[in-house]
Amino acid sequence: MASVEVRQVTKVYKRDAQEIVVLNGIDLTVPDGEFVALMGPSGSGKTTLLNLIAGIDRATSGNIMVGSTLVTSLSEGDLARWRSRHVGFIFQFYNLIPVLSALENVELPLLLTSLSKAQRRERALTALKVVGLADRAKHYPRQLSGGQEQRVAIARAIVTDPAVLVADEPTGDLDAKSAEDILDLLDLLNREFKKTIVMVTHDPRAAARAHVERHLEKGRLAA
Amino acid sequence: MKFLPYVLKHLRRSWVRTLSTIIGMALCIFLICTLQTVLDAIRKTTEAANPSRVVTRHAVSLTFNMPLAYKPRIQTLPGVRRVAVSNWFGGVYRDMKDFFPNFAVESEDYFPMYPEYVVAPAEYGAYLADMQGALVGRDLAEKYGFNIGDTFQMESIIPPYRVSGPLKFNVRGIYDAPPGKRSSVNTGMMFFHFKYLNETIRGQRGAGAYSGAGTFSVQVTDPGGTAAVMRAIDTNFENSDVQTKTETEGAFLAGFIALTGNLVGLLNGVGLAVGFTILLVTANTMSMAVRERRTEIAVLKTLGFSSRLVMALIIGEAFTIAAVSGLIGVGLARGAVGGLASLPFMGLLLGNFPALEVSPVVGSLTFLLAVGLGTAAGLVPAMGAYRTRITDALRSV
Repeated sequence: MASVEVRQVTKVYKRDAQEIVVLNGIDLTVPDGEFVALMGPSGSGKTTLLNLIAGIDRATSGNIMVGSTLVTSLSEGDLARWRSRHVGFIFQFYNLIPVLSALENVELPLLLTSLSKAQRRERALTALKVVGLADRAKHYPRQLSGGQEQRVAIARAIVTDPAVLVADEPTGDLDAKSAEDILDLLDLLNREFKKTIVMVTHDPRAAARAHVERHLEKGRLAA
Repeated sequence: MKFLPYVLKHLRRSWVRTLSTIIGMALCIFLICTLQTVLDAIRKTTEAANPSRVVTRHAVSLTFNMPLAYKPRIQTLPGVRRVAVSNWFGGVYRDMKDFFPNFAVESEDYFPMYPEYVVAPAEYGAYLADMQGALVGRDLAEKYGFNIGDTFQMESIIPPYRVSGPLKFNVRGIYDAPPGKRSSVNTGMMFFHFKYLNETIRGQRGAGAYSGAGTFSVQVTDPGGTAAVMRAIDTNFENSDVQTKTETEGAFLAGFIALTGNLVGLLNGVGLAVGFTILLVTANTMSMAVRERRTEIAVLKTLGFSSRLVMALIIGEAFTIAAVSGLIGVGLARGAVGGLASLPFMGLLLGNFPALEVSPVVGSLTFLLAVGLGTAAGLVPAMGAYRTRITDALRSV
């Protein structure tokens, strides 16, 4: 379990001599076990904020605390180690490795642990069972539908049992039925497994499944 | 090791590209290994030259002969123990593709100088007793199935030695290398009596005709005095019509090799070019592989793979390609290098060296070169992957 505390976070991109302020003094608190949806128009800074929370980008200023870790103070190496243990990332386009089977994709984050091969396989299979795809363990991504691929990606995100899940438009590339299934799954992970979830979405139906909706406009959180 | 299946799966992703890279690299390694084996044979042969032997030849060129009358004059010089005429006969057995080195030598003086040619006393006696006798090396005998008592014919390609027909020979002995010296003694040659050649020429061209001496092999009494003997020989004939050039056996062999041009430089140059090609081929393959996988690299980093680990995985792919190519290339060279001497033209040169084989040192060094170059080629794309920022790579989808 972990809460997310974002304090006075600013992100500025430099393009040649021009400075683009993407996030401007963001303050956000996500309590333990919360399911938050970040909404807003394109370019409002939703994904940037998500990336900062997940530790895959660095804030220009401000602090981000996830659980007891001040993410903004970690070195590159420490940040990578922290991500592997504490954050599960769900991408819009699934981003499964095409040469690996569903089971191998899910097992990938466990390669960074000291688990034995048998233990890794067992955990990966358990994660696939949670998302209802144990029978597709040996299938390759090209043999799965979009919804199934996203479920494998979710299994990969939860296999290390992270406290926080961040999802960047997880239903953005899916049909309505598959999107519902994915949202049901996220809901399950939040309710049953007490995962803190921060989800970026454009879809009001997806946002409605979250407990809290926050809107971003031009790099600022709407009140 | 737990990442090895991941590396192998990636290599199988574009198997045509991986396979073509491996084949290309393996051929390069095969070429380098073969060239280095030839250079190794040349080096071993020149290193194995006996310091107590010197070779006297025509000062202008090896293609001119010297008067036979020089022999007694050399023999009387201080420091000289033995002198023997040795002529490159240039005889062709059956066909040019069956060419092997063959020499007409003054056997009674020549073989005592060359203890490295080991022949059974009975066979040597039979050889000396037979004017048409021939001594063949063990490798040559095995290659053409020569046995004691066999007869065969050879005709020279060198005009002064071309008489009305081929010369007939009887195999009277088979010589070997001493134990442990097989890699430095050429047992692919054939010797016969110079007097047989000389008298055949006289018999067919008249009493005044003679073959002349292509070279004089000279054994000195003291290896420390070799330089003085060489100077004395050449000084002796300084004011003659036919001046001589005397050099150590090693220098003579090196000069003989130089007849084909700067062979060592050429082979090393080809090796360098091939090595550079390996670098480019692998670098190109790895760059393509990394460029195609920018998103995957970003995903790996998102999952917690450190930049160093991602870099190591890519270098691991380059290493695997290089190692497999190296093994295939060296394996091919080991299998094929023995057949080089039977190739047209190559045989003329390589026949003068002991049987070619890829030594463990050459094989290992070539393999290490493959691995080193392949891994180095993977460094640049690996550095690119190391520096890839997750957000940039994910945005470029």
